[in-house]
Amino acid sequence: MKYRNSKNILYLLTEEKVRPARFIEIYRRNCGDIHKTLEYFFRYKKLKLNGKSEKKDTDGFNGSLYRKAVSIILQNKADLLDIGQDGYPDILRQIYSPPLLLFYKGGKIKKSGFCVAVVGSRKCTAYGREAAEYIGKNLSRLGITVVSGLAVGIDSSAQKAALAERGGTIGVLGCGIDIIYPPENRSLYEQIIENGSIVTEFLPETPPLKSNFPVRNRIISGLCRGVVVVEAGERSGAIITSEMALKQNREVFAVPGSIFNPMSRGCHRLIKSGAKLAESIDDILEEFSQYQEQTLKACKNSDYDNSDVRSKQVRELTGDKLKAYEFIGHRPKSIEEIVKYTGLELKEALRALASLEIKQLIKEDSFNKYSRLF
Amino acid sequence: MFFKLDSFTLTGIDAIKVTVEIHISRGLPDFIIVGLPGKAVNESRQRVRSAIINSGFEFPVKKIIVNLSPADIRKDGSFYDLPIALSILAASDQIGGSIIRRSCFIGELSLDGSINPVRGLISMAEKARAAKKKYFFVPLRIARQASFIPGISIVACKNLLETVEALSGEKQIKKFIYKNKNVPDEGNFSGPDFRDVKGQLKAKRALEIAVSGRHNIMLIGPPGSGKTMLAQRAVSIMPDLNLTECIEVTKIYSLYEKYVNRLIRQRPFRNPHHTVSRMGLIGGGANPRPGEISLAHKGLLFLDEFSQFSKNLIEDLRQPLENKKVVITRNHMSYSFPCNFMLIAAINPCYCGYFGDDTKKCICSLREVKKFWKKMSGPVMDRIDMRVTAARLPESDFIKTGYAESSDKIRNRVKRSIDIQDERFRGKDIDYNSEIGIDMVNQWLKDNKKIRDLIYTISKKYNLTARGTVSILKVSRTIADLEESERIKDSHIIEAVHYRIGCNNNPDGIVSI
Repeated sequence: MKYRNSKNILYLLTEEKVRPARFIEIYRRNCGDIHKTLEYFFRYKKLKLNGKSEKKDTDGFNGSLYRKAVSIILQNKADLLDIGQDGYPDILRQIYSPPLLLFYKGGKIKKSGFCVAVVGSRKCTAYGREAAEYIGKNLSRLGITVVSGLAVGIDSSAQKAALAERGGTIGVLGCGIDIIYPPENRSLYEQIIENGSIVTEFLPETPPLKSNFPVRNRIISGLCRGVVVVEAGERSGAIITSEMALKQNREVFAVPGSIFNPMSRGCHRLIKSGAKLAESIDDILEEFSQYQEQTLKACKNSDYDNSDVRSKQVRELTGDKLKAYEFIGHRPKSIEEIVKYTGLELKEALRALASLEIKQLIKEDSFNKYSRLF
Repeated sequence: MFFKLDSFTLTGIDAIKVTVEIHISRGLPDFIIVGLPGKAVNESRQRVRSAIINSGFEFPVKKIIVNLSPADIRKDGSFYDLPIALSILAASDQIGGSIIRRSCFIGELSLDGSINPVRGLISMAEKARAAKKKYFFVPLRIARQASFIPGISIVACKNLLETVEALSGEKQIKKFIYKNKNVPDEGNFSGPDFRDVKGQLKAKRALEIAVSGRHNIMLIGPPGSGKTMLAQRAVSIMPDLNLTECIEVTKIYSLYEKYVNRLIRQRPFRNPHHTVSRMGLIGGGANPRPGEISLAHKGLLFLDEFSQFSKNLIEDLRQPLENKKVVITRNHMSYSFPCNFMLIAAINPCYCGYFGDDTKKCICSLREVKKFWKKMSGPVMDRIDMRVTAARLPESDFIKTGYAESSDKIRNRVKRSIDIQDERFRGKDIDYNSEIGIDMVNQWLKDNKKIRDLIYTISKKYNLTARGTVSILKVSRTIADLEESERIKDSHIIEAVHYRIGCNNNPDGIVSI
């Protein structure tokens, strides 16, 4: 909290209730000069601009709301990033209504290079989870930062996978920086602080209101060059994010799914209306060739795809396992069907299924119904 | 004038001998019972007095003191009416003879002198034999219950007058000795049969394994998937009780209700509703009685809608599941009831019931689903070796006629695997694979490198707890026994894993492993 401007903006937001849109308007009118903007507001409000002495970290503001916000930020070891500051992502500054202040934990946000968002439904299928992990992991392996909303389901799957690799991940919250939402992601939250960033524009102690999330989604797409929608129902937050992305002139990708799966409806609608179908990482990288010469070159000869291991495993299948695997298509089949049509005995079938499951070639999709993962 | 004779009181499932001592002396007419009598025992003074007068005897107009020894154990119930009445008659020289000293007595008296049934007769009969008594006088209506204990003559009388007649000589008593004529046929199971269950192959197979090794099992499925139907039939594939088991079960039931007039040969199947009280489930009360878990001794306890049971009740099951008996302590003494049961819990996968169902959509948020399972997780889930999902049947399967495999066939397989287990555990104090301790499991792992490697990979992949790993091995031992295989093979373990990681088709695995 060394930056005077951030504190001045925080004061305006908490105590003086300045509307962010108004601030952005003045900011743009001043050609992006944060000092002039602040001076304008402080003169207008007949206040004294803080931070005459550079050395002193204390400030002269006394409003209780402001004080509380500052103390919460300090307590949570969070930090502030304002729109005029170096390290505020350029790409985010360009959107229609950029956040004035970003509260963040973890340093990634200040040196976030190239970002791609991976978003999707909270209630995802096994396939969706697998796809999110695949995309998150391989993007991150190429040094691309994966941005998402930290929700359960697709979001956290992609972020978990991205964490372990080079690119890291940025999570954008829909609540105050001091609130961990959803609480079951606490451990992920803490890991991200170490190798990534948690970011929010909401003031401390803002609860995760329903209305916050669409607002938050504009930051997710704003931080990124492209948005990959993995699994989304027909009316889903991921669809809102992709709409934001279009307004912000970002690329939109959609991962196709089964035509029988309602959770793929949204993705398929996106594809129909012009989103790029993303089958592999190459599909995504193709669109970014102008930005990332280096990245693209690197990926050509990298080992980002793990499908080789799987296809080798499939080739090595024999006997009951092969029989069962061949019968199970991508549409879920029940145990009763498997026993009936493969001619296997029940216990043989169960064992074959269990060992295929351990090899991660199939997955129990709904109760007692299995489908191929690969 | 002093006289004493023997009777019994109940402490949990066991009876102990109580000596009824009487002293009739001169003084102001009075009738006192001492030796920690409960309300029912104190009231017996009125019944005894009326019964004696109405049977045509004389009630002494003297000072009567009755002592129930040992005097420091609280006595409750109407067991002592008959012994007190007889001791009054003997002490006032209205009856005599030597038989009374070689006998023991139990029974509640009506005002007209007839003898009514009491609880726990079979436990007392066992104790009477141990006390080397020749005759045991019991109420006629439940005499059959006592007659299953060999080595003691059961004298069954309708009323006080008959009792006095029986006591008058060896010749007269013969008339009243109870002879058990019709022993029921062995194993006439008449409950629902597995052949009515269509589909559900996986759940049926899992129940077969669970019953063979007495593994506790949880059936998870949406409403209408047939969880209850499956559980009700599980008892039909359990082998019949042997005689000692029968007597043990009958003992418990005779504590619970008075009119058990038969030997219970069928495995108990208890299905308490989820509103059952703590006392009703575990047992208890001021005068402790067995609860549902004890009534399910040697049989099945089926808890339908497991999630609806209060958290306290679920936690209360922990100790009984481990110790196979429940000890209820009251300030004067402890009562112990056996409860060696197999647990079948049936549960929906979430609040609305359709999580994971492929035709009807679940309307719960993921958080609600997690909250639902949170109540379940922890130590109790750890003691449930197998979790199996049951899906709803497609309509085409449902209307199919024809029968599935019958319970008799399955029972034969189960029986064979239990024989193998008996062989293995000969000389040890365990009966089934589910009771195997960690030492034996470690021995298997030590002997067989192949399964050691496999279990290591699996436990790493699914992040299994130590207890989870052990329970997979126990279940795979049972699967091997069903196949009459000497060693545990890879395939057995893989199948067992299947029953542990079930219901795992969601982001974070709602059921804790």
